[in-house]
Amino acid sequence: MSEILIVLFGTTMLYVFAANRIDAYIKVLALQGLLLFLLVLLNIGEIQWLNIAFLVLETLIIKTIVIPTFLLRVIRRNEISHEVEPYIPQFYSMLIATAILVFGFIAAFWASLTGTVAEPLFFGISIAWIIASLVLIINRKRIITHILGYMMLENSIFLLSLSVAHEMPMLVNLGMLLDLFVGIYLLAIFFNMIQVMYDGSHIDVLTELKD
Amino acid sequence: MLLLLFLVPVIVSLVVVLLRQHWINRLALVGTAVVYVTIVIVLWFDRSNPGLPIWLDGYFIIDTIGLLFLSIMTIVFAAAALYSLYYFNEYKPDSRREAIYVAAMLLFVGAMTGVILAAHLALLWVLVEATTLTSAVLIYFEGKKSSLEAAWKYIFICSIGIALAFVGIVILTIGSKEIGSLFFADLYNRAGQINPFWLKLAFAFILVGFGTKIGIAPIHAWLPDAHSEAPSPVSALLSGTLLNTTFLGLLRVQEIMIRADLQAFSNFLFMATGFLSLLVSAAFLLRTVNYKRMLAYSSIENMGLLFIGIALGKTGIYAAMLHSVAHSLTKSALFLTSGNILQLFGSKRIDDVHGLLEKDPRSGWIWMISLIAIIGIPPFPAFLSKFLLIKAFFENGSGWLAAPFFLLIAVIVFGMGGAVFRMSFGDLPISSENNVRLHPLAYIPQIVLLLILLVIGLNIPESVQMLLVGAAGFLH
Repeated sequence: MSEILIVLFGTTMLYVFAANRIDAYIKVLALQGLLLFLLVLLNIGEIQWLNIAFLVLETLIIKTIVIPTFLLRVIRRNEISHEVEPYIPQFYSMLIATAILVFGFIAAFWASLTGTVAEPLFFGISIAWIIASLVLIINRKRIITHILGYMMLENSIFLLSLSVAHEMPMLVNLGMLLDLFVGIYLLAIFFNMIQVMYDGSHIDVLTELKD
Repeated sequence: MLLLLFLVPVIVSLVVVLLRQHWINRLALVGTAVVYVTIVIVLWFDRSNPGLPIWLDGYFIIDTIGLLFLSIMTIVFAAAALYSLYYFNEYKPDSRREAIYVAAMLLFVGAMTGVILAAHLALLWVLVEATTLTSAVLIYFEGKKSSLEAAWKYIFICSIGIALAFVGIVILTIGSKEIGSLFFADLYNRAGQINPFWLKLAFAFILVGFGTKIGIAPIHAWLPDAHSEAPSPVSALLSGTLLNTTFLGLLRVQEIMIRADLQAFSNFLFMATGFLSLLVSAAFLLRTVNYKRMLAYSSIENMGLLFIGIALGKTGIYAAMLHSVAHSLTKSALFLTSGNILQLFGSKRIDDVHGLLEKDPRSGWIWMISLIAIIGIPPFPAFLSKFLLIKAFFENGSGWLAAPFFLLIAVIVFGMGGAVFRMSFGDLPISSENNVRLHPLAYIPQIVLLLILLVIGLNIPESVQMLLVGAAGFLH
């Protein structure tokens, strides 16, 4: 069951790379949150109930509901344009995404060979998504898409940390900490200041400092 | 004792934010610096009893290398705190913003102390992230459009870095399931049991993650922006303490690699990124137009030197320790003096600054002497550390690398020296006044820093030498 969920998590990558509207990204974020929630339910067996409560709060409430709703509202209210504006055309992005996904499966196979990983797919897909979100951040012009890319990076790291949840539940919590602190920080700075000081939220405006 | 190093910044910053009075802010900043200096002096004499409560015991330790970096941080912090008083006088923030500055700086220093003392990999990671969040407030302090851009880049790039370091930690956990602990002591003792494939992968991720904070090329993009936009005392803290504090974190991971007998892999990465940093900084130093950015690129260069030193083993490691002392103190003096220049000329452009020696001889001389200290001319310790690095190249059997090394250093000296001389000499515009005298606090911190360097360079005290050797002995 969890294999199916993980593969589904992986295929959201193709959708993100094909989409050209920001709403689609945000919906994917919500979907990823839901998938992570289900994965937590399926995979967390024997850790403390308090820990589980936190995990559910993080995945179901924050990742699936609060952040996507908040982002959607902010975009609508500030009339930020919905175009994603990549540097390279959509078609090539799709090819890149496919290649990364294939690499993810290879990495999973690889990991299974070392014999130390219980769930190779966890590892493969999350590594693939980590690479994909970095590509996404580099290949998009606008700050809002950078933030969305960062959130997807966090989701994939959360997935990776779930694979060691049995050995070291503390790491999963730390991943959550990263999520909350940096996520809130980024959003706060972004929406309160960049909106005020720059007209629009185009990364192209952030070019004052250079050599 | 160690507990005070954490409690004082946290409590004092709370008080400062609640009360928001000019005199309380200033007293708090200097008072905390005094507490830090006192504690470090006591630790120099006796660190057998760290005095941590039971629930923290084991999570924080003070070893020799930790004491070295803690001492560097404390000296730079004290200098920056004193200079901040001058900065407040000139910049005149209202008491609320001043309180935010002081609180953020204290928490930043507290977080760095945690990074230095952490004995647990995940804890170290959390504290590195804490340094990012607290120092971003300081970078944005002047509230200009460009400082916002700098703060944004800083947080965004460093957060990605720190996220990748976290991936490294998770991967390390996958590879060390039998150990089931992230305490450095456990990882060191049982390093042989970690699966080498996962350990190498983990190291690569952690190097990229922490390397982003250290400002090593090619992941240095935030550094020149943040260092040039932050208020000068903050730039000094960032460059003089934050970079090598995170560097210490990386060294603690490197020790795992050494114990697992994988140092060939990690040394190669250290060497490659080190040289790349030298190359990048040399290229930018030749054509930079902003003197604070020039200092920032010089920081990248010096971090590259530290990386190369670590990769070269024994002599190189000692050279790296000496060089981190030399670089931190000198670069702080330079950044603080750059604050004077900004005050005198009102511009960060090298071309707008002429005749500094005529306009304000004190700042001019400090600026020139600091330059001599950073480019490694005797009697300053950077000379000895660079000399030892070249010696280490030959000892290590890679003497041929000394040639490009020397060439890059020469280019950097040429670039920086040219800019500093153009700024110091030349004619002042007729209208501007000569022999300006700034507040004494605008000179004293730098002079003290340079005096400490001179003492180390001319006749290194026995205790400092012992500390350096002990710190270099951390990596086996």
